[in-house]
This record gives sequence, C-alpha cells and structure tokens, in this order.
Amino acid sequence: MASGLETLVVQTLNGLQFGFVLFLVASGLTVILGILDVLNLAHGELFAFGAYASVGIFGYVTGAIAAPVSGGIGTTIVFVIGILAAIVVTGLVLIPVGVVLESVFLRPIYERDQVYQLVLTFALLLIIIDVTKFVWGDVPIRTNSVYSGINQIPTSELLGITFPTYNVFAIVLGAVVVVGLFYFFARTKTGRIVRATAINREMATAIGVSTDRVFTLVFALGAFLAGIAGAVRVPPTAATLEMGTNPLVLSFVVIVIGGLGSLRGAFVGAVVVGVLRSWMISFYPPGEIAAPFAIMAVILLVKPEGLFGTWGETA
Amino acid sequence: MTDSLLSVRDLRAAVEGFPVTEGVDLDVAEGEAVGLVGRNGAGKTTTFRAIMGLTAVLSGSVRFRGEELTEIRPELVPKRGIGYQPEDRKLFTGMTVDENFRLPIWTSGDARDVDDEDATVERIYDVLPDLDERRQAKVQVLSGGQAKMVAIGRALALSPDLLLLDEPLEGLAPVVVENLKGYIREINERGIAVLIAESNVTHVPEIVDRIYVIERGEIVASGDPETIADDEDVQMLMQGSGNA
Repeated sequence: MASGLETLVVQTLNGLQFGFVLFLVASGLTVILGILDVLNLAHGELFAFGAYASVGIFGYVTGAIAAPVSGGIGTTIVFVIGILAAIVVTGLVLIPVGVVLESVFLRPIYERDQVYQLVLTFALLLIIIDVTKFVWGDVPIRTNSVYSGINQIPTSELLGITFPTYNVFAIVLGAVVVVGLFYFFARTKTGRIVRATAINREMATAIGVSTDRVFTLVFALGAFLAGIAGAVRVPPTAATLEMGTNPLVLSFVVIVIGGLGSLRGAFVGAVVVGVLRSWMISFYPPGEIAAPFAIMAVILLVKPEGLFGTWGETA
Repeated sequence: MTDSLLSVRDLRAAVEGFPVTEGVDLDVAEGEAVGLVGRNGAGKTTTFRAIMGLTAVLSGSVRFRGEELTEIRPELVPKRGIGYQPEDRKLFTGMTVDENFRLPIWTSGDARDVDDEDATVERIYDVLPDLDERRQAKVQVLSGGQAKMVAIGRALALSPDLLLLDEPLEGLAPVVVENLKGYIREINERGIAVLIAESNVTHVPEIVDRIYVIERGEIVASGDPETIADDEDVQMLMQGSGNA
C-alpha cells in the first residue's frame, strides 16, 4: 500500500477510535441536556475519574492474568476478556458517582435558572479534580501493560497496514457500545420510556413515569459511558488531572454540530470531529484545534439547529 | 352527591403563579359522563391539569375514591385510575400508534393490574377501530382526528375508572366529530366515567348525563344537558365566546 494512502487509512482509523471515545462522552452530555435540560460542565471529569479508576482496575486484572506474550490463543482470549471486564467494571464504578451527583446536587436546583446549574456543575468540576488530585496525586499515571499486552496480538497482517491492535480493539468496543446504546433507546421498554420523557416530560408524568427516576437513570447512564470512555482512553495515553477538559470542550462542538440533545447527531458529530482532528494532526498540525471549531462555526451559520433534530423523536 | 368517584372542592389552581380557577366544585360519580363547558380561558384545562397534579394547587381539594390527590406525586395519579387526554394531544412523536398505547402499560401496568399487554391494546383498537390499520404509523403522520383518537386511546391503556377528555371534539370535521362521539359513548357504556371539557356547548348534550358551566374560573351553572342547553344565560355566555 502506498505510504500516503496508508497514512490516510491509519489516521482515519485513529480518528474513528477517538471519535468513538468522544461519542461516549458527548452522548451522555447530550442526553442529559435533552432530558434534564442541564448542561453538565462536570461531565468531562466523569471521564477523567473513569480514567483514574481504570488504572487500578487494569492493574488488578493484569496482575492476575498473564499477558498474551506467548501468542497462545487461550491466554489471548482470557486476557482480552479480562481487559473488557475491567473496562465495564470501571463504567459500573462510575454509576454511583453519577447517581450521587444527580440526586444530591442537581435535583434541588432543577427549577432554578440555568445559571445556577452552570455554576453548580462548574463547582463540581473543580471539586472532582481536587478529589482526584487528593486520591491519585498530580503526576500522570499509566498502565502500560494493557496497551502492550493487547498489541501482542498480531493484526497488522490481517489489516495489511501497520496499526496497533489496541486501537482495533478500541474501535470494535466503541462500535459495540454505540450499537448497544441505539438498540437500548430504540427497542427496549426502558429506553423508549426515557425517550418519551425527552419528548414530553409532562405527558410522561401523566402516564405514570417517575421523572425523578428517569433523571437519575439518565445521569447514571451518562456516567457509565463516560467511565468506559475514560478506561478505553488510558492505555495508549495516561490519566492526567486535566484530561477531562478536552473531551468536554470537543463534546460541546459535537453536540452543536449534531443538534442539541440529539443522540444520532452526537454520533455523526463525534466521528466527524474525531476523524478531522486526526487528519489534521497528520497532514496540517496547526489545524488540529481549529478544524472542529471551524466546522461548528459553519454549522451554526448554515444550520443553527444542528444536523439532526431534537432527540427522542428518533432513537 | 353519594358515591362520588371524583370530588373537587373549592379548587384554586394557578398557572405560573397566577390563580386561574377560583373555587371550582364538581363531582363525577362512578360510570357517569359529565361535561365541563366554558369559553376558552374559563379554566377547564387548568382544572384538568390540577386534577392530574400537573399545575400548582393553591387551595381546595381533589378527592378520587376518597383519596386526596393534591397530596400525592403527580405520576401516581394515572396509577390510581385516571386517564388524561390533553387538549393539545401531546403524543409521543417519532413513535408509532402502538408504542403510544404500550408506553403507559410499560410504566404503570403493574399498578393497574394490567397483566396482558396485548389484550389490553387490542381492546383499545376495538373501541377506536379507525386506528386498527394505523398501528405501525408514526403518530406525526396521522390526521387531526386520528391523532385525537390516539391521545384518547393512550388514556385508556391503563384501564382507567375515570377519563378526562380535554376538548376531544375541537377542530375536527363534522363527520369525525360524530364518529368520536360514538366512541366516547361506547367507552362510557363500558363503565368508564368520563369528564369532558368543551368550549362548544352543542357538542356535549347527547353524550353526557350532566353539565357544569365554568366561567372565569368558577362553576356558574350545573344541571342536566337539556336544562343547560336551554338556559338563556348560558347561551348568552357561550355566544360571546368567539369560539376558536
């Protein structure tokens, strides 16, 4: 394969990987915005908290399970399942965090002006950073064994390009979560009840939906997804105190592109931003930060409501 | 009134802090069909919303089977057996007719002892046969009359004892109005009490047992349909309605 084309393919795949991670953060943010009408500035910190929590959980798993150095298919499968389990457990750990944030801090101020919500969620952002610093310190922490372990699995021959196996793993995992999330909202009873609440909160109440429970559920789901995103992001990078900011800011870009509160829009927006950012890093580095914002600006000018309508009406 | 199913007393309800009803009193007995007639803005919708717990009640009482509804959470009201069709329908757009009927059962079916979801939904199509062919249609593509029927059908999904219908006949073609009147009568004949709000006094006499007339947030007259329809004061009042 020609090197220019290979670079393009590799960077597109990298962008897709980042896009999926971004979607996991942005989907929670946009669904919370669509249903609770709250712009949760602390959402990026749930991602960062997930990243930190995952380091310990990954450490436990890699300590207990041998990395697939020998290449044996059995050890490989066990290792991959172990890593998957660690990622899911990280998401589960974030659920009580989300439940407490929603039920203790946000619930009392739903009726207030949105300024209160912005101030409160910004305060929560600062508090979560401090708690993270208190627990894990301010030095970046890594978990190299996961990245190198998964990369032992040879996939380059299969793909015909040089591409880290971990990134393939992250793309597949991201795709599975995306499909699962859309299935949840389109097909399951609970998912459709949540959508009905998004479409008309008052009418949902009039058929017996407890909006308090839906709010808590939505926040818990957002925290779960952010936790998974944090865990997926850590192995090739590191957990750092400021890592929540970039996904939060890019998530804003994503939901403006896709349409406020639109899940499908968040998916399209996340992939566009992820791939574009990745191309820029490779072909025109100064454009890395500017490009997503330029797209957002164009969308705001041409289609201010975003590419897709309000969420709920379509899964 | 004896064995009152719904009993509203001296109800003062507010919309965005401003009182709209100024002491509404009304009763609906088990299986009865009652009309609440008044001009636009007289307080019909606010009365219904107060019964459902969807707007602030400043004072007064709303009792259903003896239980004070103003003291329970609003999502429990449908679970007690009151179905509500709002004036502007408020359908769950983007979803099918069938999903709109099933959502109440998914959320509250247990509380209403609805154990057979499919049979319950079939009963709704029995009562509203016009929708039978539109089961899988998204609700936003329906005609105005069909959309009203979906809102009524959804309110029936929890096998209610009382149905609140807020202007079910408004804005529909005459032939559809006649159809819908037949369906409402049939619902009532199945033993479900119905309270119908209408701004057009000529619509309700043939489908209700009694009528209350509401004006400026107060009940100003009540009685059997013929008496109310012939009442000159009521006629004067309704003629000045500029009924939209």
